[in-house]
Amino acid sequence: MVRFKNRWLLVEFVDTSTVDASAEKGSLSTRPLDGRLIYNALRDSVVTNFGDTGWGAVGMSLNVKYFSPLTNLCIIRVARDQHRIAWGAVTLLTNIHDVRVIPRVIHVSGTIKHTQLSAIAHNREVIARFRTKLKNTALHHDSYDDYLARSTREIEALHD
Amino acid sequence: MHFDLNFPVTASGSTSQQKKNKNKQPQQSSQTAFTPAQIKGIEARLDLLEHLGYTVIAFNQSVNKKIDPKTHVNILDGLLQQLRARPGTVFLKRLTIVLDNDSEKGFGLTNANASLVEPYDVIALLPTTPATFSLACLTHSLPSPLTAHIVALPLTLPRLPFQLKHTLIRTALKNGAVFEINYAGAIGGDSDASLSTFGVSDTGASGKRNWWAAAREVVRVTKGKGIIVSGGVASEADYRGPKDIVNLLTLLDLAQNLAHDASVAAPKSLILRAQARKTYRAVLSEPR
Repeated sequence: MVRFKNRWLLVEFVDTSTVDASAEKGSLSTRPLDGRLIYNALRDSVVTNFGDTGWGAVGMSLNVKYFSPLTNLCIIRVARDQHRIAWGAVTLLTNIHDVRVIPRVIHVSGTIKHTQLSAIAHNREVIARFRTKLKNTALHHDSYDDYLARSTREIEALHD
Repeated sequence: MHFDLNFPVTASGSTSQQKKNKNKQPQQSSQTAFTPAQIKGIEARLDLLEHLGYTVIAFNQSVNKKIDPKTHVNILDGLLQQLRARPGTVFLKRLTIVLDNDSEKGFGLTNANASLVEPYDVIALLPTTPATFSLACLTHSLPSPLTAHIVALPLTLPRLPFQLKHTLIRTALKNGAVFEINYAGAIGGDSDASLSTFGVSDTGASGKRNWWAAAREVVRVTKGKGIIVSGGVASEADYRGPKDIVNLLTLLDLAQNLAHDASVAAPKSLILRAQARKTYRAVLSEPR
């Protein structure tokens, strides 16, 4: 059986404007990202760092499956044999559309199931972090609950 | 346990020290204080590093050419006192000496200066000429109170100034020194300010290309052992998580397990070895 194997990368884009106070370029909250922008930035990164051959290896199977603007979480699917090139291109990304970001790959897995579990866990962690910043207790219902429920549904609706 | 052994720190108002004006001498001690804005910046960076998963961070002070007991100021002690304590993170102090032609005659890593060098946990040498490179590899990696534990290489210079000779590298590795690859060169962007004032690095697209070529060469000659990878990052947006760095190393033709070692196991044993410097000739305890 020659099955086509994939790797699912769970990427978080860490916002640097909160860290680097002297950023002249806009922060992520002012220039919202979406899946298409990420795909274009990724394609440019592959072509600059790995050339046309790199894009040829990765391009057919590269797919941005999910992106959440609130938690900056992105799920990318690549073919297994070239996933290191795509992973390298993600790491070497410095900015998307003039917004400086730090891409961080949280989880790599071969099936969608574990990526979903990891993504849901990560969302919950980020929401918890937001809540401690606002000093809300966990029982306090706020708009984040909605968001969690919605995003969990969206993530579980992903399929191959 | 993830290590970032190169967190560059520069002193506030450092560079030109007027030696002719004798009245300025008492000001040396006041230069070790960091302004609150700088502290805030450093704390923010440390927050980011914690978020990315680094637990051991070494603050790096760079000195050009040689350590001079008259002008050398240890800025890291003052810094460590001003930072708030973080549970779960370990801070270390590191000194990097940039060696070039002038340092061939000797750059202050002698017994006379041992007291200057003692407060630092790790010492690194950054050679830029073939002679200093062989000095660093051969004489300074032997165990003694003055060993240099890390040989950092300027990976973004247009042409690696010296040929990495297999014999030199092997001796250094046998003595326990490690070679350092700073991943900031691969991401591009502004380089470490202190390094560029010493004329050691190159930025932009050509810097990146040189980084890939030189880093690959280092991996080839050391056969993957005895390499540590660390930050050396000047602007926060160039930081990357440890797993991402391990992946970058695999793109340098380094096997996956060796890349993982370079990021986790080699720095650990390096720090243990650095502690041995404080003992006599690397003997850690009395034989029973």
